[in-house]
Amino acid sequence: MEALRVEGLSKNFGGVSAVDNVSFSVEVGERLVIIGPNGAGKTTLFNLINGQLPATSGRIHFLGEDITTIPTHRRAHRGQARAFQIISLFLNLSVLDNGLLALHGTKPYRFKLFRSINHYKVISDKVQDTLRALELWEKRDELVKNLSYGEQRRMEIGLGLALQPKLLLLDEPSAGLTMEECSGIIDMIKNLGSDITVVVVDHDMDLVFGVAERIIVLHYGQIIADGAPEEIQADPRVREIYLGIEE
Amino acid sequence: MKTANQQTPTIPRQGQMINLVPYVAGVLILVILPVFLSSYSQSVMTRFLIFALFATGYNLAFGYAGLISLGHAAYFGAGGYTVAVLKLHYGSDLFWICTPLGILIATIIAAIFGIIALRVSGIYFLLVTFALGQLLYSVAWNVSWLNTPGMQGVSGLSLPTFGIAGFTLNTTSFYYLVLLVSLICFYLLFRIVNSPFGHALVGIREGEDRMRSLGYNTWLYKYLAFVISGAFSGIAGVLFGYYNYLISPTHLGVGTSFLPMCMAIIGGVGTLLGPVIGAAVIIFVELYASIMTPERWPLILGGLFVVAIMFAREGIGVYLWRLCNKVGHYYGSTKS
Repeated sequence: MEALRVEGLSKNFGGVSAVDNVSFSVEVGERLVIIGPNGAGKTTLFNLINGQLPATSGRIHFLGEDITTIPTHRRAHRGQARAFQIISLFLNLSVLDNGLLALHGTKPYRFKLFRSINHYKVISDKVQDTLRALELWEKRDELVKNLSYGEQRRMEIGLGLALQPKLLLLDEPSAGLTMEECSGIIDMIKNLGSDITVVVVDHDMDLVFGVAERIIVLHYGQIIADGAPEEIQADPRVREIYLGIEE
Repeated sequence: MKTANQQTPTIPRQGQMINLVPYVAGVLILVILPVFLSSYSQSVMTRFLIFALFATGYNLAFGYAGLISLGHAAYFGAGGYTVAVLKLHYGSDLFWICTPLGILIATIIAAIFGIIALRVSGIYFLLVTFALGQLLYSVAWNVSWLNTPGMQGVSGLSLPTFGIAGFTLNTTSFYYLVLLVSLICFYLLFRIVNSPFGHALVGIREGEDRMRSLGYNTWLYKYLAFVISGAFSGIAGVLFGYYNYLISPTHLGVGTSFLPMCMAIIGGVGTLLGPVIGAAVIIFVELYASIMTPERWPLILGGLFVVAIMFAREGIGVYLWRLCNKVGHYYGSTKS
């Protein structure tokens, strides 16, 4: 079954097309990695899929439904979770509050006005389990800005996962991490259940080849290669424009 | 702190173990103090409570949701004008009619203005709310139905009546009425800011994009916060109409809108009771300043503002709270 299908998707900023007629689909449970040089349109593509930006043209289907025009928060309710490239946790709030906000987002009582936020035991327990799993429970009253960068990354991805999404969008999860932290992230992605579809954008080749079942290469907003990791490595055009730069 | 980690039935944190002592002490002072005061001082206390309520309601939008509104006098004034018009044209000052109607009208205006103003954000939001407030100001200035013949505004208002034979209010009993209404409102606001809704507002202030991708309809949250905050401003406005005996277009204008913002900043943005402290500071300093040197009050307010921002960045209220906690910790540790 297809988790995500993108058809002829384009996004123009003024006259510049950041994403240009992109089509691909992702099967449920697949680990897709999108690579490409800076400015290739990877983050823009994520913004279109998750709804931060409206598409200029083209359609986006998520789990069989057309989601091209629905707002971001409704996409979240349908099972999309996203970790941003720049850490977007609430830096001035405590670890615990970050957890509570993340887990309340798709629950019906997120609008409750006169009940304490701690009233909902299911959520409280879930937050506690999640933070324990992330080894952040002891630091729950710390402000997030006082955590290390690696901890923030782990937390952002961990909270995304705690929502039990059907599609997880990770924008450069390895950015700014040490080797060990990065391999921790790789393990985390690998160990996700087969019901979660993961789309990752990254530059780090360890991570790319560590998690990818399939790789899409973007260049100036267009897909220039789409295939298994070995095919991509062997593709001369990709070597020329992208992998070549690495050496 | 460390011991709390072991036993975890629900989530233990500082917020849950609220130290009730300062609240109880504060309420007791507000209840008992006026007994010993002259009726003039009682009326200053009433003014303080009304503005504390106004600022606290305003702060739900300003401090919690991060909506920098410079037009909340519109809802405050709407409450006041409801009292005024009912008195002027219908001869009624019945509390049971004026108050619900004032709140309703303030809420409706906030609901309409909110739709317009929330199409933009940041500084543009401030400008639109400012413009909408000034719009009401000029309406009040020009529509003769809203003015006592021969003057701008409505005069000759009186304290509310309750339709109970033989029961009339004086300055003292009006103070207690305002105190009761304020306490109810503070309690409601306390529940709101500690609810999932209140936490979501803070999340939106801190990172709206993230809140959207977590599944929150952020526009709706901001809109509701704005309207609720307008409703509380309306309550404060109704009480102010009764208190002041006079409602004029300035009560809808930017000068009045600026007051709760100033109180919230001085007292502590994003805290529930900060604006109350801010209101206390401003109202009482204004009182003494206007006795000593009436013309210098804006200068003193400006100075106060600068000092508060330089030395108590998070607000005097937060500063005092920390001091209070430190003292508490000191005595706590010497006892054990």
